[in-house]
Amino acid sequence: MTERVHLHPELHKWVKARLDRYPTRRSLLVPTLLEASKYQDYVSPGVMYAIAELLEVPASEVMSVAGFYTLVPKHPVGKHLIQVCHNISCHLREGDEIIAHLEDQLGIKVGETTEDGRFSLLTVECLAACGSAPVMMVDEELYENVTPELISRVLGEIN
Amino acid sequence: MTDQTKVVMRLEGAADLHRIGVYEAHGGYAALRKAILEMKPGEVIAEVKASGLRGKGGAGFPAGLKWSFVPQDHPGPKYLACNADEGEPGTFKDRWIVERNPHAMIEGCIICAYAVGLSHIYVYCRGEFYEGKRKLEQAAREAYEKGYLGENILGSGFSTHLTVHTGAGSYECGEETALLTSLEGGRGHPKIKPPFPASQGAWRKPTVINNVETLATVPDIIGHGSAWHAGMGTEKSKGVKMVSISGHVERPGIYEVQFGVPVSGVISDLAGGMWKGHKLKGFFPGGSSTPILGADKVGIPYDYESIAEAGSMLGSGAVIVFDETTDVVRMAEIITRFYAWESCGKCTPCREGTRWMLQIYERILNGGGRLEDLDLLLSICDHLVFKSFCPFGDAAVGVVSSTINLYRDEYEAYIREHKVYRRRFTPVKH
Repeated sequence: MTERVHLHPELHKWVKARLDRYPTRRSLLVPTLLEASKYQDYVSPGVMYAIAELLEVPASEVMSVAGFYTLVPKHPVGKHLIQVCHNISCHLREGDEIIAHLEDQLGIKVGETTEDGRFSLLTVECLAACGSAPVMMVDEELYENVTPELISRVLGEIN
Repeated sequence: MTDQTKVVMRLEGAADLHRIGVYEAHGGYAALRKAILEMKPGEVIAEVKASGLRGKGGAGFPAGLKWSFVPQDHPGPKYLACNADEGEPGTFKDRWIVERNPHAMIEGCIICAYAVGLSHIYVYCRGEFYEGKRKLEQAAREAYEKGYLGENILGSGFSTHLTVHTGAGSYECGEETALLTSLEGGRGHPKIKPPFPASQGAWRKPTVINNVETLATVPDIIGHGSAWHAGMGTEKSKGVKMVSISGHVERPGIYEVQFGVPVSGVISDLAGGMWKGHKLKGFFPGGSSTPILGADKVGIPYDYESIAEAGSMLGSGAVIVFDETTDVVRMAEIITRFYAWESCGKCTPCREGTRWMLQIYERILNGGGRLEDLDLLLSICDHLVFKSFCPFGDAAVGVVSSTINLYRDEYEAYIREHKVYRRRFTPVKH
């Protein structure tokens, strides 16, 4: 059995405020999964069951949809998420060196979380900022023309 | 000398252009007033048709024609889905529009909604565009406050609404029917056509789907007239295009040009030539899904027809340039990994084919390739093209077949010498 999770009241409010924008409740599923990750560490099966109830969608469908979208965290991640682009335009501008440098600085490999739980490092597909490659995103902030110096500064400023 | 012709980017330098007051001070929303107060819906469609405007998201389909497919007498709601799910590697023009000039897009959306009789506009914005979503939501609020959105717009009796909808990390959702499935709350799987979205789209209601840049061009077409727009570009590719240029050039960025300018002009005059003075080896003319063209093709005009004739596609207008130091086998692996990861899994050729191709690339780069792997790759390409459910399958093979055709000797060198690519990091397996 999955434990019962109570969704954050703010999330309830958020959904309620948007329901009349759509012809079906289900239409809010993807945005709600994304919004839910702001209030919970990650979107656990319990959270998915609660969202299923709220939006009147079968729980199996919620899990299937959550599984499809990479921005919906399905497992615990670090306090700060570093997403660095590994796609073609960043690669051409020496992005691989930047990824290697991040691994060195954080002492972890791509796909891992630091022992203190502060940082998770992921590679991502094109972030649509190829004119200022290489690029990375820390939480919701985009960093362009990334250099080793910029990485040291950004990691130092984040607590 | 190749120059820019700025339309969507005309006000590039204006500070705080994303605020409605600034946009209006530069003439913004005048085209909406003209359309709604002085023109009949049919006249707006006719004007866009006559302008020759083609969809700027990738397919290049005539926008006015698409609008005219929506049945006028259909009872009940009809929708506009504005595709702001920019994710084609190498493309970064729509991000600029939603973050810097969102009102041009919103004004275009409202004009389209008026022309076609659409009751609700859904802007499907890429999940990673956090800044873009904030800017769009602010811009939408401002447009509501000014009476450009909502009930009885400008006292005309016409009403339409706009909602910013977020994606959550899926390249496939940029495909128009997958975008609709996602908007309805499903996995981003494409739908069978026909029925086409114009008759049965979102929630099975008639739906127009246009790209951000296409819609952002509409206000100027209404403002200046179709003849002005049709007078730019070439005979069949009319108007302008924002070209995202990245990779090995001195000044990567977005440059808006008339269709038909030479690719070489975009690279040398606008993007400052090759990075660090290196030599051009080849380029993707329209994003990662378009077959690579060799350096010998750099003189061709940048328009749909010339690029198709050269064996590729203009796509989203993303020129990715690479120089003679580039390892094309590794480059093809990167893009194949992208397609393997992003394949939605609905149809077998694409889901399986992309993964097999990735395995073969990993084998070659690890020094274990076989000479017959090249024919095997080409045969998998044949099994994807036109045999996949949606255009994703075609997109996935462009880089594979074109690099084997153009640079087969580099593949063979890896295989014959058992050369091992020295990775700087190990990609996560999936």
